[in-house]
Amino acid sequence: MSEPASKTPLAVIEIGSTGIRLIVAEVNGTGGFSILDRAGKPSRIGRDVFTNGYVSRDATRESIAVLLSFRELLRGYGISPRAARVIATSALREAANRDTFVDRVSLQTGFHVSVIEDLEENHLMYLAVQHALQDERSILSRSNAMILEVGGGSTEIMLLKRGRMAGSHSLGIGTVRVDEFVRSSGAAPGSLRQFLEDNVRTACDLLEEELPLDSVKTFIVIGADARLAASRIEAQRFDQYAIVAREAFSRFAEEAAALSPEDCVAKLRVPWSEAESLGPGLAIERLFLERTGAEEVVVPNVSIREGLLLAEARGPDPEHEAEMTRQVAASAAALGRKFHYDEDHARHVADLALALFDGLAAEHGLGGRERLLLEASAILHDVGSFIRASGHHKHSEYIISNSEIFGLSRGELTVVANVARYHRKTPPAGSHLNFIALPREDRIVVQKLAAILRVADALDRGHDRRVRGIALERREDRLIIRAEGSKDLSLERLSLAEKSDLFEDVFGLEASLS
Amino acid sequence: MKTKRYFNRELSWLEFNARVLDEALDSGTPLLERLKFLAITSSNFDEFFMVRVASLKARIASGDLEPEPSGLAPAEILAAVAKRAKEIVRRQYDCLLGEILPALEREGLAVVRPSTWTAAERRKLEDHFADLVAPLLTPLRVESPPEPGASASDGLPGKSAAGDVFPGSEVGLSDAPRPLDLEGPDASGKNALAAHDIPSIGNLRIHAAFLLRPEQRSAPRGTSADRGADRGAGRDADAAKSDRLAVVQVPPNLDRFIRIPTDAPGLRIALLDDLIAAFGQRLFPGYAVVERLLFKVTRDADIGVDEDREDDFIAAMEEVLVGRQNSWPVRLTVSADSERLAERLMRLLGLGIDDVYTLPGPIDLRTFMELASNEGIAAIPGGERLRYQPWPPIQVFEPAEDSTIWDEIRSGDRLLHVPYESFDPVVRFLEAAADDPAVLAIKMTLYRTSGNSPVVRALTRAARNGKQVAVLVELKARFDEERNIAWASRLEQAGAIVVYGLARLKVHAKAALVVRREDNGSIRRYLHLSTGNYNDRTARLYSDLSLFTANEDLCRDASVFFNMITGYSTVQELRFLAVAPFDLKSRLLGMIAREAQRSSPESPGLLMFKMNALVDADTIDALYRANAAGVRVLLNVRGVCVLVPGVKGLSENIRVVSVLGRYLEHSRVFYFRNGGAEEMYLSSADLMPRNLEKRIELLFPILDETLRERVHEILAAYFMDSAGAHSLARDGKWKRVEPAEGEKAYSSQADFYSVVKRRRALLEEPPERELPVRRRPS
Repeated sequence: MSEPASKTPLAVIEIGSTGIRLIVAEVNGTGGFSILDRAGKPSRIGRDVFTNGYVSRDATRESIAVLLSFRELLRGYGISPRAARVIATSALREAANRDTFVDRVSLQTGFHVSVIEDLEENHLMYLAVQHALQDERSILSRSNAMILEVGGGSTEIMLLKRGRMAGSHSLGIGTVRVDEFVRSSGAAPGSLRQFLEDNVRTACDLLEEELPLDSVKTFIVIGADARLAASRIEAQRFDQYAIVAREAFSRFAEEAAALSPEDCVAKLRVPWSEAESLGPGLAIERLFLERTGAEEVVVPNVSIREGLLLAEARGPDPEHEAEMTRQVAASAAALGRKFHYDEDHARHVADLALALFDGLAAEHGLGGRERLLLEASAILHDVGSFIRASGHHKHSEYIISNSEIFGLSRGELTVVANVARYHRKTPPAGSHLNFIALPREDRIVVQKLAAILRVADALDRGHDRRVRGIALERREDRLIIRAEGSKDLSLERLSLAEKSDLFEDVFGLEASLS
Repeated sequence: MKTKRYFNRELSWLEFNARVLDEALDSGTPLLERLKFLAITSSNFDEFFMVRVASLKARIASGDLEPEPSGLAPAEILAAVAKRAKEIVRRQYDCLLGEILPALEREGLAVVRPSTWTAAERRKLEDHFADLVAPLLTPLRVESPPEPGASASDGLPGKSAAGDVFPGSEVGLSDAPRPLDLEGPDASGKNALAAHDIPSIGNLRIHAAFLLRPEQRSAPRGTSADRGADRGAGRDADAAKSDRLAVVQVPPNLDRFIRIPTDAPGLRIALLDDLIAAFGQRLFPGYAVVERLLFKVTRDADIGVDEDREDDFIAAMEEVLVGRQNSWPVRLTVSADSERLAERLMRLLGLGIDDVYTLPGPIDLRTFMELASNEGIAAIPGGERLRYQPWPPIQVFEPAEDSTIWDEIRSGDRLLHVPYESFDPVVRFLEAAADDPAVLAIKMTLYRTSGNSPVVRALTRAARNGKQVAVLVELKARFDEERNIAWASRLEQAGAIVVYGLARLKVHAKAALVVRREDNGSIRRYLHLSTGNYNDRTARLYSDLSLFTANEDLCRDASVFFNMITGYSTVQELRFLAVAPFDLKSRLLGMIAREAQRSSPESPGLLMFKMNALVDADTIDALYRANAAGVRVLLNVRGVCVLVPGVKGLSENIRVVSVLGRYLEHSRVFYFRNGGAEEMYLSSADLMPRNLEKRIELLFPILDETLRERVHEILAAYFMDSAGAHSLARDGKWKRVEPAEGEKAYSSQADFYSVVKRRRALLEEPPERELPVRRRPS
């Protein structure tokens, strides 16, 4: 056999709002993997958290019992709990006692749980979908697409415009929450329908601003509910996904919504653990589907767990990183467009900023991730002008920190918001609450990136891209920026003198333009 | 006449047992094998009454009078069962007494009953009884309801303390346990026992019953005098009214067959129960034995464990085992010695005349199996010729010297056909897993296996060697529960993870999975899936098919399957394996429907199924629909088949055969022509609602083309069989399949053995002659 030696299989466990699920897989050197084993048990963490705000003692105990049995299962593959990747999603994320839960799990089972953020969830999901559809790349790139996953606590949505991320959202509507709504309000089934329709309509109206939904021709749904639907109705089946006709999907969703969980178990042969979510889950999916122009529903046979596995398996993969960078930038640009930003200026400043970043590698000592944050900040630095030109940097900060950018975590988004905030006027100061609220490392990153962004922005002061490109030259404590293009750079010089203060403070270099 | 859509299940079962009996009636069958088939017929009956008849009676008792799909109401079925069962039993005893026993005597093995004991034999046997048997006996006096004509008040004069009833010391029984007094009304006048039943009479145990009469005068206790009192005494009505019933259990731990010392050639054998009946009067001093009888009670064994008792399932199971000994009676089998006693026992047990089987010969032929196996051989010079010519199991799957079993399985799937092939590869598979340091884990289901089996030994060793051993032990395997509990605890002590079955579902699937870390660090799994149990003993008698494979897809499914049944996971859908009670039935139905869809007059569909029982109405309806679409359906059903074949407009394209023979046909095979893209599946499941809905069963595909062809050949052979096959007619009668005019009988089983021999011979060809032969990956 020619495979590389000694590879321990990987184990990935997801603590979700309705279940705790595991996969064991083997990585095959080329960034792919093959699944060896899977298991899953229902969990009531979601129900606890979405009603009471915390995980009950019983649910904690049950979770630990499940994880202990998974530990036993993993022993059969020689995998220790420490070596397993364990993530928790929306339910635990929102639990008031999440730290206690994580701690108890760690002490009693040896598993270390990392609670991931909603945006990271989207990222992993995208990885999984991309992997499942890799043999059929055109599915994602040939048209506009929506990727949807209805979970217990949240619904994750991604919009792709010809393969480029046009929007990424996490909506606080999920099957367990919906069920709780029905139970708590004692509402009639009809009102549930109304509730869902209202919620989905509001969400779709927002999405329309990013991408006209009737232009969405590819509708991709992830999750157990959709997989079940695809397995019970006429479908074209492929290795990693199935394709179902729009009408068939809608019809099945309608039928499932009319069934009680008991009937789901009896008539559709659905396990109990999935029966409760089936109706609401499919109903939400159907409502989204009907807003799109898709004729078919693509149901990949993957979950966030496969995404995590891919992220683990791939490690740093330049090609993949580049793809993710493109998607982050595309998502940032989509946000910018929503607020009618100056696209050319934004892109140009981003390119200049990245050129500066790359030329100053030795000075800032930052990596690819920060480069990505710089790019996003540069694209969005002026986005606040939508509200008002005066003080627009502060508006930018507000818009960014309250939006979602595909592939960025909440913490990273805050960094981007801060960098945009400091692209003009006052540099970071101890009196700026949003700045001092950042962890120390992030404050330094913000300072460095803002310094670079201010210089880059100065170089396109006229929003006319007169500086087409730059070359950098170091002379002792001076940085000479040689501009390509127009010779009349007086405006830019003026601006640079005004905005390079932070740059000098941070890098100890005096910037000049020639 | 309106044709039925389904036969009745119980009546179809009786026809199966009649086919078993047919093997005994067949003079072409060797003598000792014939005896064995007689014994099997009896033990089949025992199980049938304990389970099927008991549940029928329970239905009637619960007021369920609904006719079942065959159109018969429970009471009608019960009456028909009694009628047919008695016919079969009559044929069975005609054969035993008219042919088998006389033939055995001619071969030098005489089973002698009391009427043919010589006086000398009688003396020797009486000594034997007094020395070795009587001390172990515990007579029970039974309160019996008054016989018709006798009033309750005068039924039992002289009731006294227990010690007075049968003062054992007088017959030298001082060491014996004190006789148990089971008289009903106690001092307070309450009736301690239900009128109907004698609970201490254990299920299937042989007992002797005696009708006793107090002696008027002190009679000498000599044998002949007793016999005289017994036979000749002129009884008047008063004496008869005071007759008492006593019961003695024939000790199950003593050999039933007693060699009578003799100088003559050949062997003479007396039956222990005959001794007890003949000399039992010694147990009752002061009484004369008026009548005597041997009998056996069959009780309801269809009592399940309380599935909701999760606290200690093993304890609950043990209670069931005790309960089975005392559950309510369903049948009474008696010797033909005393109508009066039979009548009394019948009333005591609350049974009707239909439930009483009076046998003209020795009762309980089950145990004659022993005689057919060992004793017979020992007794009869050249006894081998009275048995089937031996077909020692042959080892075909054997790793070459420079390779391991893992290499072999990785290089291609392997099929094992036991008992033609040896079961050893399965044992070696597990032993290799136990000893191989690279093996991480073994997961396995165990349904019926013996505690001392090499399978359990290998698993125990593996656990001791630090492997993760996870075993699902099905405690609920009927009639095997006791044994299972014992060895399962031993496995657990060795460090294995033992799962004691699943609530409400019997795990009937047979699978073993070995997880191994290969030299390059990757994980590789090796899987064995079978139609038969991991039991090295039944693997010598049951014909089963099994598959060794390292196919990743099958192994992945199997891993998830084990996660489901060991509690790691909820039910998940699998891609290649189908699991009952989840999707096995729907997949089968789907594939039958597919066959119907793809069938056309130019290219008709073909289904070939083999199983032990075909009862599930949904499946049968699907087969009828396939029939309507022109699909040819060939069914080999060993046992119960409620499908009605050969009816125009319903099933004219369906043919049903049943093959019996020296081996019990146990494999379940499902073949779909599928428009030329043939599919072949093996399964642990029979097509009965029980299997499809209340059990964990597996259906697995044979993906390797060569192996698929081999299974196809095996499957097709049954439909050509003219040696052990019966064919089912639309009226429910089975007819022996005769060889075509001028042709020799074709035995599928004999053919399977010769195929295996040929495959072995190919392996042994010397290397230089191997060149033209081409070893097929078997």
